[in-house]
Amino acid sequence: MNYLEFINKKIKENVAMHEKLVLFGQNINAGSCLGGLTRGLKVKDNSMIINSTNTENSLCGCGFGLMISSISSIFFMKQLDFLLLGIDHLVNTFNIIRNNHDQISNASFTIFPIIVDNGFQGPQSSHNNFGDFCSIARIQGYTITNKFDAEKIIDSKLISPGFRIIGVSQRLFKNEIIEPENVVFVNEEFSLFQYTEGKDVTIVCFNFSFPQGWKMMQKLKEKGIETTLFNVNSPTPINWEKIIESVRKTKKIIVMDDSKSANVNCDALLAEMCGSVSISKKIVIKRKFDKDWLNPIDDQMGVDYDSIINEISNKSV
Amino acid sequence: MENMNKQIGFDIIKIRISQMVINELYKDGKFKIPIHLAFGHETIAISLDRIMEKEDKILLSHRNIAYNLARGKNLKKILDEYYLKKEGVGEGKLGSMNLMNTSKGIIYTSSILGNNFSVAVGVALAQKIHSIKGITIVLGGDGSMEEGSFHESLLMAKSLKLPCFIIIENNEWSMSTSINQRRCNVDLEKLTSAYGIKYCKLSGNNPIKYIEELKKLREYAVNNYEPVCIEFDVTTLGDWIMKHDDYPNGKYINYHAGPAPTIELKTCPAIIKTSEQDPVYALKELLDESEIIEMSEKIRAEIDSELI
Repeated sequence: MNYLEFINKKIKENVAMHEKLVLFGQNINAGSCLGGLTRGLKVKDNSMIINSTNTENSLCGCGFGLMISSISSIFFMKQLDFLLLGIDHLVNTFNIIRNNHDQISNASFTIFPIIVDNGFQGPQSSHNNFGDFCSIARIQGYTITNKFDAEKIIDSKLISPGFRIIGVSQRLFKNEIIEPENVVFVNEEFSLFQYTEGKDVTIVCFNFSFPQGWKMMQKLKEKGIETTLFNVNSPTPINWEKIIESVRKTKKIIVMDDSKSANVNCDALLAEMCGSVSISKKIVIKRKFDKDWLNPIDDQMGVDYDSIINEISNKSV
Repeated sequence: MENMNKQIGFDIIKIRISQMVINELYKDGKFKIPIHLAFGHETIAISLDRIMEKEDKILLSHRNIAYNLARGKNLKKILDEYYLKKEGVGEGKLGSMNLMNTSKGIIYTSSILGNNFSVAVGVALAQKIHSIKGITIVLGGDGSMEEGSFHESLLMAKSLKLPCFIIIENNEWSMSTSINQRRCNVDLEKLTSAYGIKYCKLSGNNPIKYIEELKKLREYAVNNYEPVCIEFDVTTLGDWIMKHDDYPNGKYINYHAGPAPTIELKTCPAIIKTSEQDPVYALKELLDESEIIEMSEKIRAEIDSELI
């Protein structure tokens, strides 16, 4: 099953169970249904599926209006860029609501955007800066990167009291979904997942770089190098202690962050470690921006696996 | 009918004098927060309060004081909120520009122009899903109808068949610029007609007329699952002429926020302007001047004892 099919399955399972639920967004139940993300949604009779108007700002406001009136809703969005139009509500409306005890109800509001990160979008429509949205008003955000975190996050967060944004990667839609064999650690907030425990190097993946981190781990394993693999599912800083504890043991860290933001989350981790952890090898992989970065180009984050393996191997010997 | 008129008149004057009390405290520098007084909005506030039923909800803007006084009927709790005390209506967490009172149906208040229209769409949709025969009322000014969210919300309210009032309090000013200084004229009736939305314009500050009309519109909206756009002609009182060397004839200052320097707490009657633009002056259509004076004195005494 591919990434998209699995997420679609999880969404369908969850929305079918809830009473008085409103699902809305442009074309969520028409045409390609957001490339298949919302295909085949079924809700109870007292719920609604709305193929909405093209009014992103007001759709965000509407979700909050439903929330303070004890109705849960999900706003599915074709691409994260559109959410720029709703920032007023993410900040001002959400701040008012969460500061007023009377308005904290049991209702849920989730914005579920597709992060268009598959390149060739040109100067617009490639706003792969999920963390910036969450940072702007300390909003809970979650990235979906594999089968395990998809199950945990969608089952527990998609319809749950409060507001959050759950992002999925368009780049991964057609890829076979990664199924980690086992999970070593998951924090209570589902913002940090640890998939392997190894003594040689710590790998930390941010944004939607988990597939690259997973591949890195497998390649290192083939060379007999044991890794501790983390994925940070929150696009904003979390409690880093678990990761720092691992780096204290391995002394080596590979960080991957494919966000386009100038304020990437991995920098917060690296800043936290600075001076407090003795590191013999630090490899940071981020997107590179050259003069063509606004053009329609393949702007994927490049990973030179062989070079990294060499670097880690040399130090390991 | 006469008693009803008297009570309505009494309530309008009470909102006026309550605001005058706030204004005096404001002039004395008692508040740290910004406050937008609503002298001139008293009749609209009382009229909406009168037509609201138990399940109805109202969403306000930064200029919300008249509505909070009309619904909450408690100046002390509002003052405590302005002093940011825990005893305040919002436990000192809301201040003025976001002041709301959910127990009285004031479910949301926004200081961002046009922000509350779309939240109202969600509230109205929730009422529909809950099968509540109520109405959602949202207020903005002639400045907020310039925002894209106003148009988006009209579109959504009509498309989703939501019983709601989208009210524009047209005072012709957005901070320091009048409509003719900042934009072309917008015929709101034609604009709403383009969306297929019923429109009504109310002016003159006659509360009996306002209440009658609003009741009819409420029934229409609830029974037909339709939004209604209502435009009120309103004058936000408190303008003044600033003396300045650069302006030999003085400079006209429209009241927007802060204390209104030329408005003073008068014992009776609490009239600011001798025209129907002033809701208290307009009460002369319903009440004798002696009644207005008598009510003003009584209200003043009531407020004095409430605030001791």
